[in-house]
Amino acid sequence: MQRQRSLLILILVLIIAAITVIATIPIPLGLDLRGGSQLTIQVKTSAEIPTITERELEGVKKVVEGRINGLGVSEPLIQTVGTDKILVQLPGVNDPEQAERVLGGTAQLEFRTQKPNTETQLFAFQTSRAELKVKQEELRKSADKAAIVKNQEDLQKNNQAIAELFESTKPPLIGKYLKDAYGEPSQGNNWHVAIRFDQEGGQLFANLTKNLAGTGRSIGVFLDNELISAPTVGIEFAAAGISGGSAIITGRFTAQQANDLGVQLRGGALPVPVEIAEIRTVGATLGQDSITSSIYAGIGGLILVLIFMVVYYRLPGLIADIALLIYALLTWATFALFGITLTLPGIAGFILSIGMAVDANVLIFERTREELQAGKSLYRSIESGFYRAFSSILDGNVTTVIACAALFWLGAGLVKGFALTLALGVAVSMFSAITCTRTLMFLAYTIPALRKPELFCPNLPRSNKAEVAQ
Amino acid sequence: MKLSINKSRSLWWAISSAIILAGIISMVISWQNPNIKAPLRPSLDFVGGTRLQFERDCTKPGNCDQPIDINVVREVAKAQGLGDSSIQIVADKGTGAENGILIRTKNLDREQRTNLQNALTEKVGTFDEQKNQFDTVGPTLGAELFRSGAIALIVSFAGIIIYLSFRFQLDYALFAIVALLHDVFITAGIFSIFGLVLGTEVDSLFIVALLTITGFSVNDTVVIYDRIRETLKTNPNGAIADIVDDAVNQTLGRSINTTFTTMLSLFAIFLFGGETLKNFALALIIGFTAGAYSSIFIASTLLTFWRERNGQATMVVSGESIDTSAGN
Repeated sequence: MQRQRSLLILILVLIIAAITVIATIPIPLGLDLRGGSQLTIQVKTSAEIPTITERELEGVKKVVEGRINGLGVSEPLIQTVGTDKILVQLPGVNDPEQAERVLGGTAQLEFRTQKPNTETQLFAFQTSRAELKVKQEELRKSADKAAIVKNQEDLQKNNQAIAELFESTKPPLIGKYLKDAYGEPSQGNNWHVAIRFDQEGGQLFANLTKNLAGTGRSIGVFLDNELISAPTVGIEFAAAGISGGSAIITGRFTAQQANDLGVQLRGGALPVPVEIAEIRTVGATLGQDSITSSIYAGIGGLILVLIFMVVYYRLPGLIADIALLIYALLTWATFALFGITLTLPGIAGFILSIGMAVDANVLIFERTREELQAGKSLYRSIESGFYRAFSSILDGNVTTVIACAALFWLGAGLVKGFALTLALGVAVSMFSAITCTRTLMFLAYTIPALRKPELFCPNLPRSNKAEVAQ
Repeated sequence: MKLSINKSRSLWWAISSAIILAGIISMVISWQNPNIKAPLRPSLDFVGGTRLQFERDCTKPGNCDQPIDINVVREVAKAQGLGDSSIQIVADKGTGAENGILIRTKNLDREQRTNLQNALTEKVGTFDEQKNQFDTVGPTLGAELFRSGAIALIVSFAGIIIYLSFRFQLDYALFAIVALLHDVFITAGIFSIFGLVLGTEVDSLFIVALLTITGFSVNDTVVIYDRIRETLKTNPNGAIADIVDDAVNQTLGRSINTTFTTMLSLFAIFLFGGETLKNFALALIIGFTAGAYSSIFIASTLLTFWRERNGQATMVVSGESIDTSAGN
């Protein structure tokens, strides 16, 4: 009984914790439920880059991020998928035409020279740009679409204005000459970004820096026509420029900033074309339609199951229903904790795992009935119902989890979400359907009014009834 | 009432074979069909292309007065050089009014798509921007999806065989897989027939459905095997046919109730759920029904048949040490 009591407390604590989790962590809805567009970008190999490695993919992702952020969409999600793909999700964007336009094509990285006598202008533009960017971040958190678009236009104009202050070298020093770029620590807590050109690029870079050294004018590093860095060159390089093809960009960089700039430069230098392999859009209302009707259907089905359990299994059925509700709470909370994004297949996985949870209880109760019919006492029947059903519940659930694991590791997108929700659901159901039901069942057994075999199994033979009632 | 499933096992096997055979014939016919060229009618997910869905905005006065004429839509598509597209008029679920257009065509780029939409707007009416939907899938992506799904399936088979031969015995595991393949084939076969007759397409969710069916099918089979194992332990010298019959009968209540409760949820989704999940629920309904059937009538009778032929009915005792240690 001591063990039962501590289990009961554990269950209560878990319920409270689950409710707290559900109340505090919202479960984000997948694109198929909230509406929006999803673009899959395939990174292609080229003659210069025959294989795509993680380093390259990361670089391209940075370029894609830059381009998408330029669109001013709220909450875009950009992630790498597999070895050569990048997934872009744009919630709320019904027509991804704009995104398509900016996403295709190879990144354009260029080192340009600042035109003479534009220092003050550049400074003014850079200051206003910083302000606009801060404002943009704030606006993204709000839902004011018009303001976001307006601010984005201002940013575009600002970019354009900045770009006009620079001019290309002859021949232009573009990304293909850049061999590598990465952040590394310098003295103290400071970081800098090291860049390295090939021989031809080194020559161009030396010329560029020679012209700018000591003038106070900057090198303009442009990625897709947006200024990402504007370092100046010290007077000591006025004679020969920075020769040898290597240079470092110093500044008050944190490790994060230095790495980001490094990745941006690398991504911009990659001569890999990207191609949009897949576009999917779901209209916002369409997503809403399917989520509401699917959820209603799921809840309706669940209520029918709950009713069936009580009608068929009597008192144990009622207890199983309570356990099932606990199950739903705990699973929902687990989803929130695991940061699962809810998609349609995910909902399907959840509903199916409810089926699995019910199955475990059905197995147990059928077994309890059999034992009762065989003439065992009520207590022993309940005991052996749980004990005997356990091995088949375990084997059944383990095989399901094996299938889920295969799906999760090998499947893609949709399949993954489904496998994860089903596996988590099955794991939780092992607890709710066995431990919860068992604890509640024995709790009910302590109440004398409920200790009647008829409440567990209707139509018991008369002789049995008399026997077990003692 | 007691079912003696082993007595009439040739009947059960004949029923299953007939359904599977019908499915296979349908797959061959589909394969030969120049419009399908695959065992099941593949959706965009697998073959690539562009699918556009438009719905007229009926809040605008006069916009939906005329029903959409499919021939007008065809004309427009032809004028855009998309004569071989498949075009459907879609009825609204709530009102039954035919205000939607579904077009499936080769891969369209941004410009072609916009042109098509503008041309259609001109002839048919203004569309509700909120309800427009379009998907473009490159052919390589679909192939990859299929490949990864197939690999996942094979790996999960292997995992299930290993686990079941460890927990039971190898022949149990193999027949569980036979039952599982049976369910997958029946579901795929019936969907192949649907594809031929009703034009039902299979998408990536169908692969998810097949994988779920395998999980549940094994679960059903395991419950009966568990009972056979238990009975064999207490009665190692009984005739295998009787033991299997008993095990199936003892678990029959559970098999029926579990299938029933799962079906309640699935039918709810099938009848009232979102459009996207309908075929998914239907595939699961077919697969789970086949799964319940195969675990009761196929996996168990095959096991009896095998053990009777090989005189292994009593051999199980040798595996008992594994069972008891793992079961406790």
